[in-house]
Amino acid sequence: MSAPTPTATPVPLESVELACDFGPLKLRSPILTASGCFAYGQQFAEFMDLRQIGGLSTKGISPLPRHGNPLPRIYETASGMINSIGLENVGCEAFLTEKLPFLADLDVSVWVNFFGTDFETYVDCAKTLSEGGEGRIDVLEMNISCPNIKKGGIEFGTVPEVAHRLTKACVEASEVPIVVKLTPNVSDIVAMAQAVKEAGAIGVSLINTITAMAIDVRSRRSRIATTYGGLSGPAIKPVALRMVHQVAKALPGFPICGMGGILTGEDVLEYFIAGAHCVQLGTINFSEPGAALRVTRELRELMAELGIERVQDAVATLGGYEAEPAHAEVSPWA
Amino acid sequence: MKRAVAMAQFQVEVVANRALTGGYFVLELASEQDNAVGGAQPGQFVMLRGEWGRDLLNGRAFSVLEAIDARRFTVMLKVFGRGTGKMREMQPGERMTVTGPLGRGFPQPDAQPDGGAGSGRKQLLVAGGVGLPPLHFHARRLVGRGKADAVEMFYGGRSAAELVLTEALDEWGVQTVLATDDGSRGVEGRVTVPLTARLDAAAEAGEAVEILACGPTPMLAAVRELGLARGVPTSLCLEEMMACGFGVCLGCAVPVYGPKPYKYCCTDGPVFDAKEVRW
Ligand SMILES: Cc1cc2nc3c(=O)[nH]c(=O)nc-3n(C[C@H](O)[C@H](O)[C@H](O)COP(=O)(O)OP(=O)(O)OC[C@H]3O[C@@H](n4cnc5c(N)ncnc54)[C@H](O)[C@@H]3O)c2cc1C
Ligand SMILES: Cc1cc2nc3c(=O)[nH]c(=O)nc-3n(C[C@H](O)[C@H](O)[C@H](O)COP(=O)(O)O)c2cc1C
Ligand code: FES
Repeated sequence: MSAPTPTATPVPLESVELACDFGPLKLRSPILTASGCFAYGQQFAEFMDLRQIGGLSTKGISPLPRHGNPLPRIYETASGMINSIGLENVGCEAFLTEKLPFLADLDVSVWVNFFGTDFETYVDCAKTLSEGGEGRIDVLEMNISCPNIKKGGIEFGTVPEVAHRLTKACVEASEVPIVVKLTPNVSDIVAMAQAVKEAGAIGVSLINTITAMAIDVRSRRSRIATTYGGLSGPAIKPVALRMVHQVAKALPGFPICGMGGILTGEDVLEYFIAGAHCVQLGTINFSEPGAALRVTRELRELMAELGIERVQDAVATLGGYEAEPAHAEVSPWA
Repeated sequence: MKRAVAMAQFQVEVVANRALTGGYFVLELASEQDNAVGGAQPGQFVMLRGEWGRDLLNGRAFSVLEAIDARRFTVMLKVFGRGTGKMREMQPGERMTVTGPLGRGFPQPDAQPDGGAGSGRKQLLVAGGVGLPPLHFHARRLVGRGKADAVEMFYGGRSAAELVLTEALDEWGVQTVLATDDGSRGVEGRVTVPLTARLDAAAEAGEAVEILACGPTPMLAAVRELGLARGVPTSLCLEEMMACGFGVCLGCAVPVYGPKPYKYCCTDGPVFDAKEVRW
């Protein structure tokens, strides 16, 4: 191994600044919590001071309330879990009246994750949330990637032209900036990111869950009632990092919110180095509801140790290996 | 939805890991400071996780068997898979993370000191397998309040070895009927056999009873059938797959009749009215 380890000069903890930019947005901290893993926030107030997180992404909202999928809906696998919740949510109207006021009071970056069941309902939803939000929503995070809805949805997340058209229509319908959450279940993630960037999205969230399954050999049934579900947790982090890096390399400077399997401050730093500008924590919130604050503390300490004062000093800084000396039959040292 | 006790997450140490017969074991856990589980109601549960790194990520749900004091409590379990397998091997001194107490407990048979109204009916507790802990805890609480005669226990297992912690019930003077599939202890057959006889006797005598049941799903289904056919109020303590235990993952859905097709085992339950469960 020829790559030298950069020598780090530690800096004092106090000189680490976590406030950072995500495109036009100012974030108090780059650590947010992920959609579907934080409900609408309230439950977590019992476990921690929510004002210390950078922001949160809500459970995916659709124009009308939705009931979820039959059970079993979840199954734990090696270093991860599969879910097929079915995008159960309270619907736009109840969200705006019952859930949003609590979030707005927190004074953190509020990302409202949303989806529709077809083109029109996507646009409707963006418009309703943008108008009804009355300035209390910072980002509409458009989920074009859910593997768990049956009707038509799959093309929105997998065909660049379709994603472009849908994103453009939502961007035009919404005053609130749009971040598109991409599915990893595609062969060319860069083409998808490029398409939504050109359509006016201010950034992308990467990644949603990876389509997966597990089987009970005794009953010979899938462990999930809908047969397939989405895999999340540490098991998917290597795939997510690779995708963040591919997009960051192809679209330098385009804001990426990275996620997938983050458990520690070191995981977050890996995402920054790969090219993410901020991150979201998902599955870890289930077993450790206060995780976002621990991870924030760990990130701050690690940045201090490695002499990284600001988030942007780490973003997209992946180094390469030096070329090996050419092979020869006889060693030049002989 | 106001809880009796606020939930919290805290660290505990394994104080003891005691093997019972039939593969069951009891873990006694203690925290350094007073913890919220000390105030747990019977039927409430905790999510437990050991220091297992990046695998076995989610907590595992276990009913509280006994809240000994403000720092110590126990759970009773059996090996089902990877998580419970690790727990079987845990040694005193090892650490775990607890989230709890979670969910809502059993209805009470009589008026509560805090003013809550009870049913006034005699409670027939029906337990099978790992369904024993919450009912055992419920009986213990009532005995502690001098109400041993407010409950009767019906407890079934495959064989004598699978019936555990029965000495305590005897000691407390809780009337207990045991049943084993192979007849090695108590009545031969399913626990529903003596339960049926008891329900019929109650009907005959015009005695007001209710059923609280916890155990394997086929047992619960049979108990529901028996209870509801006779117009006896029946509560079932259910188990569903859980990732969080506090209402955010939406994994633990329970199909119900009513305005919405699902409720949640962790926040609406785990105790449900048998009439509303949609199986
Ligand atoms: C409210 C409640 C109370 C419970 N009380 C007790 C108790 O007192 N004693 C006891 O022995 N068991 C109890 N269980 C069941 C216990 O949670 C499971 O046996 C345990 O999670 C299995 O974990 P594992 O890692 O060994 O199994 P694995 O199969 O390896 O676990 C995989 C995943 O499935 C989940 N899971 C598997 N089986 C069950 C199940 N039956 N119910 C819920 N989740 C499951 C696990 O939580 C885990 O996420 C209770 C379950 C619930 C929901
Ligand atoms: C139970 C569950 C529900 C989820 N629901 C949503 C959702 O409604 N909308 C969405 O965009 N992503 C949803 N996700 C995906 C997460 O936001 C996140 O992208 C993914 O889990 C990867 O991060 P993690 O490994 O940290 O969990 C869900 C994930 C889980 C585990
Ligand atoms: S276990 Fe997560 S909602 Fe019930």
